[in-house]
Amino acid sequence: MRIVIVGGGISAVYIANSIMEQMPESDILIVSDEAHPPYDRIHLCSLVDHSKCAEGIALELHPNVRLELNQKIVSIDPKSKRVFSEHAVFSYDKLIIATGSIPKSLFDITGIDNAATFRSVRDCEEIARGIVGKNVVIIGAGPIALELLDTLMHNTEAKSITLIVRSDYLYSRELNSAAVALIRGIFEADPRIRIDFNDAIVDREIVGSKLTRILTRKGTEIDDPFLIFGVGIDPNIAFVRESLACDKGILVDETMRTSDPDIFCVGEAAQLREGGFIAGRVKECTLQADVAIANLLSREALEFHEAVSIDGLKVGSFLFADVTSPTFNPKDPDNETILISHENRIDQYIVNHDRLKRFIGINTNIDLLRLKRLMELDEPIDAAYFYSNRLMSENGRLVCSCEGVHEQELITLIRENAVTSFAELKAYTKAGRTCGRCKQDVCAILEATPIDPEEAARLKQEREAAAKEAELAVVRERIEKYNRIHPKNQLSSDNLEEAIASFEMSHEYNRWVSMITASMHLHPSYEEVVKEGVTQLNKIPIIWLELADCSGNSEGFIKTAHPKIDDLILKYISLDYHELLMAASGEQSEQVLRDIVQNDAGKYVLIVEGAVPMGLDGKFLRIGPKGETGVDLLKRVAANAAAVMAVGSCAFDGGVVAAAPNPTGAVGVSEALGRSDIINLPGCPVNPINIVGTLLHYIMFDEFPKLDAKNRPEWAYGFRVHDNCERRGHYDLDEFVLEWGDEGAKKGWCLFQMGCKGPYADLNCSLVKFNEGTSWPVQVGHGCFACGQGKIAFDQYANNRKLEEKPHE
Amino acid sequence: MSNRKIVIDPITRIEGHLRIEVEIDENNVIREAWASGQLFRGIETILQGRDPRDAGLIAQRICGVCTNVHYRASISAVEEAYGITIPHNAEIIRNLVTLSLFVQDHIVHYYHLHSLDYVDITGALNADCLKASLEAQKWSANPYRNSVAHLESVKEKLSSYVKAGRLGLFANGYWGHEMYKLSPEQNLIHMNHYLEALNIQRDISKAIAIFAGKTPHPQNLVVGGVTSVAEILNPQRLNDFLFIIKDVRGFIERAYVPDMMMIVDAYRETITSGEGRASGNFMGCGGYRFGKQSVLFESGVIKGHDFGNIAPFDAAKITEEASRSWYENNEPLSPYEGETTPFYTDLNEDGTLKSEGKYSWVKAPRYDGEVMEVGPLARMIIGYSKNSPVIRPYMERFMERSSLELIDFSTTIGRNAARAVEAQICCDYLFDMMSDLIENVKYFDETTWTKYSFEEMPHEAKGAGIFEVPRGVLGHFIRIEDAKIANYQAVVPTTWNASPKDSANHRGAYEESLIGITLSNPEQPLEVLRTVHSFDPCLACAVHVIDATGRELSEYKLISSNTF
Repeated sequence: MRIVIVGGGISAVYIANSIMEQMPESDILIVSDEAHPPYDRIHLCSLVDHSKCAEGIALELHPNVRLELNQKIVSIDPKSKRVFSEHAVFSYDKLIIATGSIPKSLFDITGIDNAATFRSVRDCEEIARGIVGKNVVIIGAGPIALELLDTLMHNTEAKSITLIVRSDYLYSRELNSAAVALIRGIFEADPRIRIDFNDAIVDREIVGSKLTRILTRKGTEIDDPFLIFGVGIDPNIAFVRESLACDKGILVDETMRTSDPDIFCVGEAAQLREGGFIAGRVKECTLQADVAIANLLSREALEFHEAVSIDGLKVGSFLFADVTSPTFNPKDPDNETILISHENRIDQYIVNHDRLKRFIGINTNIDLLRLKRLMELDEPIDAAYFYSNRLMSENGRLVCSCEGVHEQELITLIRENAVTSFAELKAYTKAGRTCGRCKQDVCAILEATPIDPEEAARLKQEREAAAKEAELAVVRERIEKYNRIHPKNQLSSDNLEEAIASFEMSHEYNRWVSMITASMHLHPSYEEVVKEGVTQLNKIPIIWLELADCSGNSEGFIKTAHPKIDDLILKYISLDYHELLMAASGEQSEQVLRDIVQNDAGKYVLIVEGAVPMGLDGKFLRIGPKGETGVDLLKRVAANAAAVMAVGSCAFDGGVVAAAPNPTGAVGVSEALGRSDIINLPGCPVNPINIVGTLLHYIMFDEFPKLDAKNRPEWAYGFRVHDNCERRGHYDLDEFVLEWGDEGAKKGWCLFQMGCKGPYADLNCSLVKFNEGTSWPVQVGHGCFACGQGKIAFDQYANNRKLEEKPHE
Repeated sequence: MSNRKIVIDPITRIEGHLRIEVEIDENNVIREAWASGQLFRGIETILQGRDPRDAGLIAQRICGVCTNVHYRASISAVEEAYGITIPHNAEIIRNLVTLSLFVQDHIVHYYHLHSLDYVDITGALNADCLKASLEAQKWSANPYRNSVAHLESVKEKLSSYVKAGRLGLFANGYWGHEMYKLSPEQNLIHMNHYLEALNIQRDISKAIAIFAGKTPHPQNLVVGGVTSVAEILNPQRLNDFLFIIKDVRGFIERAYVPDMMMIVDAYRETITSGEGRASGNFMGCGGYRFGKQSVLFESGVIKGHDFGNIAPFDAAKITEEASRSWYENNEPLSPYEGETTPFYTDLNEDGTLKSEGKYSWVKAPRYDGEVMEVGPLARMIIGYSKNSPVIRPYMERFMERSSLELIDFSTTIGRNAARAVEAQICCDYLFDMMSDLIENVKYFDETTWTKYSFEEMPHEAKGAGIFEVPRGVLGHFIRIEDAKIANYQAVVPTTWNASPKDSANHRGAYEESLIGITLSNPEQPLEVLRTVHSFDPCLACAVHVIDATGRELSEYKLISSNTF
């Protein structure tokens, strides 16, 4: 399923990552009009005070999510399911709009160098560059303006800073005037800072692209200013006004679905039909995103309803806490305020008919979660309760409202586990990792919590040692298991040297050890252990049977490059029986086969190529001087085999030999033997890389790599050809070859219209290619016919026509 | 002492499932022989009723060794049926791929499938590397990878392998057999090239993959042309191809051909005695255009080694019969009409062939009623006899250096020599064909596909794709009815050479070539193996028959053993 997400913020990333987690095969594209990969807007301030660069606040994005930057979407066409930018077209099956909002400014500031809004990396870079030595003017009173003011206060670059507020409050109209005075006092302690209430810009002088002077209603003149608007936001939805139902934002129902069933909208751009907007609250964004994903993937019918929100804001030396019920109406005349203040601490409750509707605290240690529950229960409260019970949380203030982690809990965690960094903390709590707003707060607590460095180092070492020991135990167990099952292959120390010598050169041997280590996904430091194992297992006996085949898999096998076939058969495996290559014939080759089946019972690996003809009592194929049928031979040799690998599509399920009308009653190895433990490596022929890789894994650990439902190794069959195809970009842009040899063919466009079956093929062809990576069918312009899917490929896919139905998602 | 029968099954180091039975007299001389294909898959049955455009991808699966040629012949048969002429570029690309396959096939055949009939690996362990290096210089002015140090490393590799205990592929060979004639040094030179050839065959496969996507089972052909247009517009890809072929040419000139001269010298006695000579009937269909008027192979038919008398080749004279094969209907029929259903009469109770009755899944193709031998030997003899400007100089050079007459090639060893000469010719002329391609592209001919509309094509049609391929003449025959495949038949090189007897009891080429050979040790019939191997058998191809009636298999009754 092609999912396109428009937007470059937290919502977009959260959605993309969540979908990848739930449906890893999804094809997700994020389109953003910014030049930077998605980042965390909450920490934009750190760009202004130079404590971080843009990369430092980048959000972690799943590597398989594709990203298109600098693509400003200008319109969408729900009918043809396409999204248009100024330069490109993107097709989607499902579209998610998470464009957020655009900041308001009181007059048009385009073309003016020394005026900015405060919303994006570009804005911050402009601000950081522009304020040096200037008289900074910030317009606005809300959290954004305050946060910016706080940031600039800690930065000595601005000459002066004036905050112009249209009315007479800060943060929120509901905030009590005592609290406002408290905040103002803290800011104005800095002589550069002035806060002007009930004021506004009335005039300005502009010379060229420079704003040279600002005049306020109260008559203040500010020369050589740098102007920043922090006055509010509008949903960023101009590009869909034509095509979707909108009010102020894009109208969505409680499933986050817009007026088009395949288009969803979350975050600040979305306007709930019942409700309204969620502004600036990450937790709500993620809740909306979860709802949108559940409905988009048709997983469950989740609905979004506004809930009690908890917001925190750390400004300068004080900390805001804000808990708001969704039923809070600021204009309700019945609202009553209960104010408890003490020094730098203010607890402000807003109550309506004995129900708690909102709480704003400054430097409070009230248990916010408990207040939240109070609002959720919506039960009458006794106002006196607030006075007598300060609701002090035993665990101190709430640090992370998303995860509900309190300061004291955090400190305990840090102390007990001797955590020294935010990264280490991950193992113990998700605090600071959900919306990220409190990350800096968490880091500050980390810094402020003294840890004995020796103890920390000791604990760290202990932890690492334990992890390593656990991993080592797994490796040892595998090697022990190997030795148990293959006692004959254990080399005594006498001929160990000879075995090493037979690897010819020690550096080659080391390379092999490294390769095996990597294939087990082990850290290189485990090479020593692996080396020990390798010396134990020189040369596994292998029998390769050709049944109803064309020798294509054998022919492919001798073209293996890593390791090369001569190294492979002279050094790593003992290919004891392979009719295409072995020296002995007739009675002598039969003797070889009998000997291995008898003497190496339970130790040899059987590789089977070709289908098993069951018709005519199996007599369509007879092998050996006694005319044994193919199926009897297979059963005889498989009975004593340690493992059976079916290579190629014929051995998988009969392949082309079993294609309609299946004249010889051919079946795959698994079916012929009636066994479900056959390792299947379909392909026509199978890529030798897949045989050798699987074999090496088995040789080393006596177990096959992880298999999927069809018993195919996941490392080779866990990919869809289409997803990793080099022409995939052209598919996404609707650029198709329409006729053999046309201009598109010369340019390497997508072959889907020419019947390429890449979307139906689970194989790694597009990743590893063939003949040492030289090429593969799609590269030579033919397209894939999903040969690895078995006989169905030869009945339905082996042609140059598109299938009628749509590709499976 | 009466005659006795020897059964060799499986014949290894070939593609597919072949059994040879021979009857020897009291002096161990072969008096009668039977060659039997032991696998039936029915690819043609599967092709029936399908869209003709799809035949190629299925027919290709007839064989994974001659992997490209069935694909090509099948697509060409459909093109002939529809009267589509493919663009020049498409023909060149198809030729580049097919001829690269010739080279790859011949090298793999000689070194990996055949040379162990002449090379005693255990002998190589006793070689003196300095002497071996000097020995190689007798056969080539500039022998391939011939430093003493390199030969030492090859010897070391082999001996540590043998010492480590498991012989793997080399276990239980006829080592020490008196018919191994090479000196220890000559054995080592061959084993050196055996290992090098593994790399060379992998490299040629890369060249094939450049235009064909992959090998085995390439994927670049469609009815009307080829799909690999982007490759011919990419000078880097063209160069990659040329440089690989250049390396391969070095191997053929400095290893393959000199080794063959060494073998000719060591086994001259068997050449003089005519070991492995068949009926002397040769057939070739010619082909592979290049330059303005030139053609790589000549067509013609020679009977009974009468080299001066060459009849023109006429595909219409090809018939197949099944009087000794496990099918119904014993009459010779044209491949278009070939209408045969499995009729399996089983083996004797002791597992031997019912030598008086039906005994093989391979049918008996005949040309004008006669048995024919096809392959490199036939092509070299016909080309030489018709004074082909391409073939004659190469043959003359080889004949002069190794003191052979033309008739000497019609032997076990000669068959291999002809194959080596042909590998050299194919490799050299790949450069000419590539020049043609570059010329074309240079003058802005980028066409690779002839446009046609399937809907406008005739609903009833028939066509054939007949080509020289590594093992001989290959023909795919298609009959189209109602725009679907009504009948499909492939007559492949090994069908000719591995043919069983016919109603007149004429032996097939394998069988005929074995008559009169003396086995020095009947328990280790090395002479039989090397003669059969000299044909480069490919049995998956050979067994290909159709079931036009579409009957259920359950209807086939096993005929009890005393019927015949």
